[in-house]
Amino acid sequence: MRDAYVIGAGQSPYGSFPSESYRSLFRTAFEATTESVDHGVDPSEIDEAFIGMISIGGRQLGLSGPAVTEHAGLHGIPTTRVENACAASGSGVRHAIQAVKSGMADLALAGGVEMMTDLSSDTTRYWFGVSGETEWERMAGTTFSGVYAQIASAHMAEYGTTREQLSRVAVKSHENGARNPKAHLGFECSLEQAEGAATVADPLTLYHCCPTSDGAAGVLIASEDVAAEYTDRPVKISGVGAASDGVGLFQRESYTSLPATRKAGRDAYEMAGISPDKLDFAEVHDCFSIAEILAYEDLGFCEVGQGGQLIEDGVTTLEGDLPVNTSGGLKSKGHPIGATGAGQLVEAFDQLRGTAGDRQVEDAEIGLTHNVGGSGGAAVVHVLEAPERAEVES
Amino acid sequence: MSDSLGIAAVGTYVPRRRITAEAVTEAWNRFDGAGIQETAVPGPDEDSLTMAAAAARRALEASDVDAGEIAALSFATTTPPLEEEDLSVRLGEFLGVGDDATRTLSTGSTNAGVRALTSTLAAGDGPALVVASDMPRGEPDSAIDHAAGAGAAAFVLTPDAPVTIREQADHAIDYPGTRFRERGSTTVDSLDITPYDRSAYTETVGGAVDGLEADPSAVDAVALQAPDGKLPYRGAKVIGTPSDAVEPHAVVHSLGDLGAASVPLSMASALVDGVDRLLAVGYGSGSTATALSVEASGAVPGEVDLAGEETVSYAEYLRLRGEITSGEPDGGGAYVSVPSWKRSGPQRYRLEGGRCPSCGSLNFLPDGACRQCYELVEYEPVQLERQGTIEAVSVISQGGAPPEFAELQARAGDYATAIVAFDGPDGDTASAPVLVVDADAESVDVGDRVEATVRRIYTQEGVTRYGLKVRPLD
Repeated sequence: MRDAYVIGAGQSPYGSFPSESYRSLFRTAFEATTESVDHGVDPSEIDEAFIGMISIGGRQLGLSGPAVTEHAGLHGIPTTRVENACAASGSGVRHAIQAVKSGMADLALAGGVEMMTDLSSDTTRYWFGVSGETEWERMAGTTFSGVYAQIASAHMAEYGTTREQLSRVAVKSHENGARNPKAHLGFECSLEQAEGAATVADPLTLYHCCPTSDGAAGVLIASEDVAAEYTDRPVKISGVGAASDGVGLFQRESYTSLPATRKAGRDAYEMAGISPDKLDFAEVHDCFSIAEILAYEDLGFCEVGQGGQLIEDGVTTLEGDLPVNTSGGLKSKGHPIGATGAGQLVEAFDQLRGTAGDRQVEDAEIGLTHNVGGSGGAAVVHVLEAPERAEVES
Repeated sequence: MSDSLGIAAVGTYVPRRRITAEAVTEAWNRFDGAGIQETAVPGPDEDSLTMAAAAARRALEASDVDAGEIAALSFATTTPPLEEEDLSVRLGEFLGVGDDATRTLSTGSTNAGVRALTSTLAAGDGPALVVASDMPRGEPDSAIDHAAGAGAAAFVLTPDAPVTIREQADHAIDYPGTRFRERGSTTVDSLDITPYDRSAYTETVGGAVDGLEADPSAVDAVALQAPDGKLPYRGAKVIGTPSDAVEPHAVVHSLGDLGAASVPLSMASALVDGVDRLLAVGYGSGSTATALSVEASGAVPGEVDLAGEETVSYAEYLRLRGEITSGEPDGGGAYVSVPSWKRSGPQRYRLEGGRCPSCGSLNFLPDGACRQCYELVEYEPVQLERQGTIEAVSVISQGGAPPEFAELQARAGDYATAIVAFDGPDGDTASAPVLVVDADAESVDVGDRVEATVRRIYTQEGVTRYGLKVRPLD
């Protein structure tokens, strides 16, 4: 199979945009994506698109994929809407990579969009809730935050993880997000603020939860045959892993880890031929603070049960040995569900090309993105390498 | 009257919350529930059907009878959650009563509980289960509402049981307007003509007892219909029985008017207490009365615990019963179709799991590929225990509930939601997500032991979905 490269990536600002539509937001992201391509790209050169989405203003449309690509001027190309809850566009990226590697496409667009602030708070909770096990988990009165709170309770009971450690994740994410001009909540927060915020689902406070965001992101994936036409500095996708699991937490072998993440991570590391200690940074799925701690453990950044200690030791701060969520993560940057996975690759693209501004990780050569659907029913992991490491065939 | 069936075991259920007469007085400057100190307040996810299920399960547990053996099931209430539907069918499904059992729903009169008992005994089709459950309501400023309580009692009837009904006598006098509920209304009404109401009660009750050969003055205890805390004593005078035979088992003083469950609960209390000769008199508006002469040869198995666990203010009382909440919010709830719900009834109501024939692991839900070996198998049915241990828990704070639970949360406050590992038959467990009730949400922890109880989950398309929640084990 051919190698696949990211030759461009861009996103809209994340936040609340009452004057935008899901189409216009996607257009903004698409334009940012094409503008990031060093030698330029004409939309007509894009062979195929995979767009992640879950709901459009509380509605589920049957052809929302073509609706956004046609709106962005990608006329006539095969467009597939990818639905995998919060892992929608991470899965879309994987589909695009498959299309490129298989030879079906030379240049594929993966992206995602979500308009979530159009909705009443009740409807928002409805849409968040459909990403879980609706018939059983939800009928136990559980929300999306409630499921992660259950995970947190089990992690605390089993490993002694503390609320303070959860809060430190939020503090770190906001510190990074404050350096990201596109972040939804681009401000810093103190440990006291995170600790003392209103409880959403005990033991999770408001600062342990991601915001409800609008946003869109796009990633252009090129084959090794054409990547050089678009840039001299492509980012190589060296590892891809994906997995699924029981949608309901109660159906899993563990409540203190996401087995789907473990498998996706293992496969991605194996394909990339690296171990976790080779990573220079990671963008992990932190819809709730406990999710980031699980990711540390499931992706091998630390031993099982040591995720809380890892954040407490400062390892994952921007200045630490393994910066995590330099973008601010879902917590600070925002979580427009369908756009989240692709948005993680936008940050990895910037980091690996040295264009991440104030939040740049020094000498970043290998990075990882990790996108989770629901509470672990799906997971997608990508390993990416800086242009300096990539061998581009001309 | 069949002489082959008798009462083999009893079960009762009373909600945990109470409101005192003082609290009502504080709100209305008066309390019109004569002779009542406090009343039982049902939870926002409780109704006559859920209370019936709890009492019935306790009665079955106290007996040697398995639900699958029940040949006749009778459910009596004046407050069925639906005006039309034979709710005894769903009650049977909650319990695991077989498809061939005779089912009867009795309603329309507070005498329905006693009548359900007598008609089931008369049919002689056993083993049988008779359940009376009620939660009358009136307009908040009415005497009926001040007196209104909630509770349920169940009787397992078997041949050669220690308790037999020796005699039955009925009496009916046309007394319109004493107590009635208009079509489409959820509240009981009365013309409130005191002498008229009193005459209706005493004449019909007296007439029924007169029809018995048994000497009312020679009984050990009397279970008299109690719309309030005074009428039973007035009735006792009329029928010629001492008032100290009424008081020990008159549940009205601490629970309020229990409607169709009033006499059954008093009977259960007396029988568990070991009373040998009992006179029971049901009364219902219209007016009818049914008198029973009951003889027991020893205490009946079962427990009667009428103690409350939490006293609520009047504002909390109004909130709990939905008087001052706004109902389900816009935005819709998760749609789980009624056919989907029905298909999972054995799991939702009775925790039926399955054992994988390939690897032997216990699965809940028992469908799809085995969660251990991933084989596509036909599961061997396994009945999980109704007790289990909390493995993971969170508390859903106000405003954080899914839309379909928002009204419940508005009425009940923060609630805990958990994953519980239910005990399996061979020392293994299977886990299910459940909502935790009857607990201070903040106090629920990983490792706590809980038991399952049927409650309302939510209502959509007019059809209430019932299912298991859990409550802490003492």
